Amino acid sequence: MLSALIAGLATGALYAAAALVYNVMFSTSKVLSVTAGHTAMLGGVFGAWFMQVLGLPVPLALIGSVVVGGAFGLLTDIVAIRRVLARSDEHLWLLSTLALATMVQQAIALWWGTEPRPFPRVIPQDFGAGLLDQKYWLPVIVAIGLAIGLEVFYRRTLYGKLFVAMSEDIFAARARGIPTDRIRMLSYVMAGAMGGLAGFAAGQLTFAYFALGLTLTLNGFIALAVGGLGSNVGALVGGAALGILSSIATYYVGGEFQQTISVGLLMVVLLLKPEGLFGTRNVRPV
Amino acid sequence: MKHPLAFAAAAAALATLPFWAGDQYQLHLAALIGAYWILIAGLNLVVGFSGQLSVGHVGLLAIGAYGFAIVAGTHGVDPWIALAASGALGALCGFLLGLPSLRLPGFYFAMATLAFALIVTELVLALDGLTGGGLGLSVPTFPEPFDTPAGNYWLILAVASLVTLLTWNVARLMWGRGLICVRDSVVTAQAVGIPVLHAKLAAFVFSGLTAGLGGALFAVIQSYITPDTFLFELGMFFFVCIIIGGRGSILGPFLGTVVLTALPELSAPLAKLGNFFYGLLLLLVVLLLPEGIGRLFQIAMERLRPRRIESMPIAPHPQRLTDAIKAGQR
Amino acid sequence: MSAALQAERITKRFGGVTALSEVSLELLPGEVHGLIGPNGSGKTTLLNLLSGYYRPDQGRILLGSEDLSRRPVQERPRLGVARTFQKPRLLPSLSVLENAMIGGWRDTRSGFVASALALAGARREDRALRTRSIDLLQGVGLGHVIDRRANLLEHAEQRFLEIARGLTGRPRFILLDEPAGGLTSTEIGHLGTVIRIMRDCGIGVLLVEHHTDFVFRICDRVTTLDLGRMIRHGTPAEVRADPEVIRVYLGA
Repeated sequence: MLSALIAGLATGALYAAAALVYNVMFSTSKVLSVTAGHTAMLGGVFGAWFMQVLGLPVPLALIGSVVVGGAFGLLTDIVAIRRVLARSDEHLWLLSTLALATMVQQAIALWWGTEPRPFPRVIPQDFGAGLLDQKYWLPVIVAIGLAIGLEVFYRRTLYGKLFVAMSEDIFAARARGIPTDRIRMLSYVMAGAMGGLAGFAAGQLTFAYFALGLTLTLNGFIALAVGGLGSNVGALVGGAALGILSSIATYYVGGEFQQTISVGLLMVVLLLKPEGLFGTRNVRPV
Repeated sequence: MKHPLAFAAAAAALATLPFWAGDQYQLHLAALIGAYWILIAGLNLVVGFSGQLSVGHVGLLAIGAYGFAIVAGTHGVDPWIALAASGALGALCGFLLGLPSLRLPGFYFAMATLAFALIVTELVLALDGLTGGGLGLSVPTFPEPFDTPAGNYWLILAVASLVTLLTWNVARLMWGRGLICVRDSVVTAQAVGIPVLHAKLAAFVFSGLTAGLGGALFAVIQSYITPDTFLFELGMFFFVCIIIGGRGSILGPFLGTVVLTALPELSAPLAKLGNFFYGLLLLLVVLLLPEGIGRLFQIAMERLRPRRIESMPIAPHPQRLTDAIKAGQR
Repeated sequence: MSAALQAERITKRFGGVTALSEVSLELLPGEVHGLIGPNGSGKTTLLNLLSGYYRPDQGRILLGSEDLSRRPVQERPRLGVARTFQKPRLLPSLSVLENAMIGGWRDTRSGFVASALALAGARREDRALRTRSIDLLQGVGLGHVIDRRANLLEHAEQRFLEIARGLTGRPRFILLDEPAGGLTSTEIGHLGTVIRIMRDCGIGVLLVEHHTDFVFRICDRVTTLDLGRMIRHGTPAEVRADPEVIRVYLGA
């Protein structure tokens, strides 16, 4: 039972990280990008590739994964967001990010293979550590660290304040001379890098697996919707709740119904509190 | 019907396909396109007309396919009854999925349908007593004369024609315009009194019906189904066929289905790229031709035969207007 | 048939801001009623309340003696209340005719299934609506663009199409949100013709408009709002002469 809780918390932390990725991209563009989960998938796959195939030391591989994630974020902005946001049709971004997510997933499948591959040790630790194993606490630390880092970034830095200004009123921000295109690009790079880092940290838990992206896109979104769109605390709570609930359910009912249960959770929350646990009612979703 | 001759020629060609098709494989491919189209024709009303981006219809396809295999195969019920049952089951599941999810805004709805597709796969694996789990189920054929490849093709052609006729009727009458209004301006839809949720749900349940029928016929073509037959990517494929063909059209998505099903089968490198190719096509269409490939033809036609848009001043006809208003008040 | 559409002591707040405070307005069948006031005075808010997009915090919306305050917006057309939008909301991929036909949704009795099967009733309804829409389009002066895609229309054509769409719903009352915006003086003249015909046919027309010359010329009665309060209502001559109206809106 305890092991189910710990494993659930670790998985939930990864969902929370994906929800944070959504939040950062949403803040500047009001777009929920389907590629949110794929940033973490890339972090995991490239982390494994850097260490296992190229034989790079851990810190370099970590930096490499973050860079790959950031580059993918940049690509998302350039290819799927920039041109589409200028149009009035509000659904086009859903199609363009879905297209990009499909392409990157299939490209990884062709290059890396469709089998999950193991992810090497990041910190030297005995494999007998059981529940204290790094694969459980690394994702948790990274998710909490990202959330705290974001709050500090929003409150203490100039760029963070620009993000907030843009998220509150993009027209006012533009009128005041904020270079909204550049800020949005920066937010996508940042979101991608965050995803890359989270995917790297959770690599030992998830393995380096091409199909992880879609699962994370869905579960990260569920964590986000449960916690409340735009709220970073909500993302953490939503992710943890989702991870723990589905692992407890797995413990009692069996792993076959994991997805069914997490979607059930989403439906219950959306019916009772459509804006999510920590969301504000006047934030119009999408 | 703007071109009755072209329509008649196409109908004749489709009806006689088994006589002039090069080999059994081409006939199989045509039957596959037909089964896909049965689903896509219904989905088109959801995606192309009412503008609800469902990426998870592969779940409804799987339900129809497994429903048929279980009812007709495991329980030995008459295949015709099983086919009807698959359609009804698809419609019921469409209702159960659509009722809560169609209230949600766009991205939430897309995620709900994605989750639905994954849940169906999960349940198929979990309920292995019923579905055979990962091992799968074999699917019975229809009785004579529909048990041959040609017979099977004609059966699918008949169902596909019927479904196409139904969607065409919806599209050309009031509900088709109502769905497009829901897609393009919910505010207008409310102002003129269109019951928005009801309209979306009607189209969605209809798409569930066609997905169930398509699933049953698809299963017969496959003759053996496993969860791997219904990967999420197949749902993406249906979706892409419609977007590429153009929203609010029937012919466009049909051509999209034909070309996108046939291309990878005929060209090995494309088959290898698989979803990368579909993703790339989708991206290009969204960026360059958001109205679908059909728009290309329109533009080309306008180049060839430029239509002058003459500007004429608006001049009301008082008597006509009075008569028209009075006619409505009677 | 002489029931009025009425706003009775309406108050509407958005968050802490009071957009309308105790405003009353009565729109009679067969009159043109102007609603004027500076920007932000609550004109469009009142129109949105009458047409059902908002619900009042206090007060009632009445049609005759029937309380519409809590009735959803989709029911307004069946009750005989139509509206147009300040920024025309047309369906760009459909033709002018199809856009006008959308306005006649209240006469669609056939369900989705009857449409899919193209039952006789569904086809008959569609034909009747098509004929009526063509007549109305020709009546308002859009006969020459009936088959044009709506995204190719010029601005004035879009405004007249919005009115035609409202009329296909066979309304008893039509609420026009700044219909003269962006029109040339000739086109405003034609708009006036259309509005007078609607009035003469017994339709109650609410005209929310900035173009005061036009309002005073065509309206039977005028209501003036400022900062969410009603400051004057009466005949055009009375309103135009009111010192308060001159101070806040018309200028010296």
